[in-house]
Amino acid sequence: MRMAREKKGQFIIIAALLLSIMIISISTVIYGTVTYYRQERWEEYVTIVDSIKTASCNLLQVGLANYTQTLNQSVLRGYFNLWMRDVRKAYPGFGVDLSYNLASGIRSAYGVSLNYSLGLARTWNQRVSFSASDATVNIDIASVGLKGYNFSSHVLLKMNIRDAVWYSKESKRYVLIYISVDKEGPEAMINLQKSNFGVKLSGATQAFSMKRYYSRTYGYFIYEIQISSIDALPSSVEVTLQDTRGIKTVSYTTNIQQSSE
Amino acid sequence: MTKAKQAQNQRSSKGQMRVIEAVMASLIVVSAVAFLFAFAATPSSQPQETSELEKIGHNVLHDIDEQGLLARFVYRSEWANLTSAMVVSLPTNVYFNLTVYDVNGNPISHPLMQYGNQQIFDSSKAVASVSYIVPGYQTNYSPRILVLKLVRG
Repeated sequence: MRMAREKKGQFIIIAALLLSIMIISISTVIYGTVTYYRQERWEEYVTIVDSIKTASCNLLQVGLANYTQTLNQSVLRGYFNLWMRDVRKAYPGFGVDLSYNLASGIRSAYGVSLNYSLGLARTWNQRVSFSASDATVNIDIASVGLKGYNFSSHVLLKMNIRDAVWYSKESKRYVLIYISVDKEGPEAMINLQKSNFGVKLSGATQAFSMKRYYSRTYGYFIYEIQISSIDALPSSVEVTLQDTRGIKTVSYTTNIQQSSE
Repeated sequence: MTKAKQAQNQRSSKGQMRVIEAVMASLIVVSAVAFLFAFAATPSSQPQETSELEKIGHNVLHDIDEQGLLARFVYRSEWANLTSAMVVSLPTNVYFNLTVYDVNGNPISHPLMQYGNQQIFDSSKAVASVSYIVPGYQTNYSPRILVLKLVRG
């Protein structure tokens, strides 16, 4: 009887001990799980990755702006090589390592095929003109074991001469050019000023006035350029655009309509 | 002693033993829970506060950059405009100090870009710091590092 009672007593205490161990173990695991995110300070690494990502996209803009103004085909490669070095300097101690792959060959973007070389492409002197840059960037951050985070980024400037019309109504003779401008997205650029454009008719630079509005005719945001006192039908229209980012493109057409209404 | 009285005594001591066992078991469980509470240090609100401010700071710089204004302000040294844009974009109770460096760590922004008294920064326990890179402007590659320090007033 005494043995049986002692065994029963030990069982309850052992059960309580086991229960305590289980409570402590499960609580420790749960606590570790819920506080893991906070302990690792992910926010810092997320902001670093995001900052590098945004800056790399901006670098594509800077490279494309330089290329369209100087036609130096290797400028983007040079900038990215410097960028790889400078990112390490900007975030010392994080083990940030950057690599890149510039677009090459024919790639399609927004319904058009562009022939890239060293991440840069341009199709100028056509009715619809483009300037574009494209690259894939890879980020490693050794301090947190982040490896192989990559993203593709591209920059585009597209200008379309929708219509060019020479109006000859009695003594009033002028040319109207209707232009739409898009950037990557695709997204209509609506913040351009007169100073962003340059116009040539039959190869000669012209003074002009400009209006911008949403056109129901085209169903698009339109820049309307007017060149006054044009006595004869011009043989060509050339519009040069340099946007607020410094990216340039040139549209050209010989298809000019004539109207006397 | 009669047999009936002996059996009654045995039952009585058995019951007392059960009570003692139950008390001991309760003590073990209670001490385990107390142990957990004593050692499970809950994270203080300070790192969370810093993390929140970092997020706000990064988002504000990113928004100004997305609008194409950040590079213009930095490379044309429009420090007053940059300070104003930051003040407008940040919540009213968040104060900041912004310094612009070149890639070698030399400060570029000479005038102090700060919103809020220096005392707030000195006395605050949670100061968040955000680094943001701008690689260049227009056609020129010349990286600038913006170091933004934030406190809540």
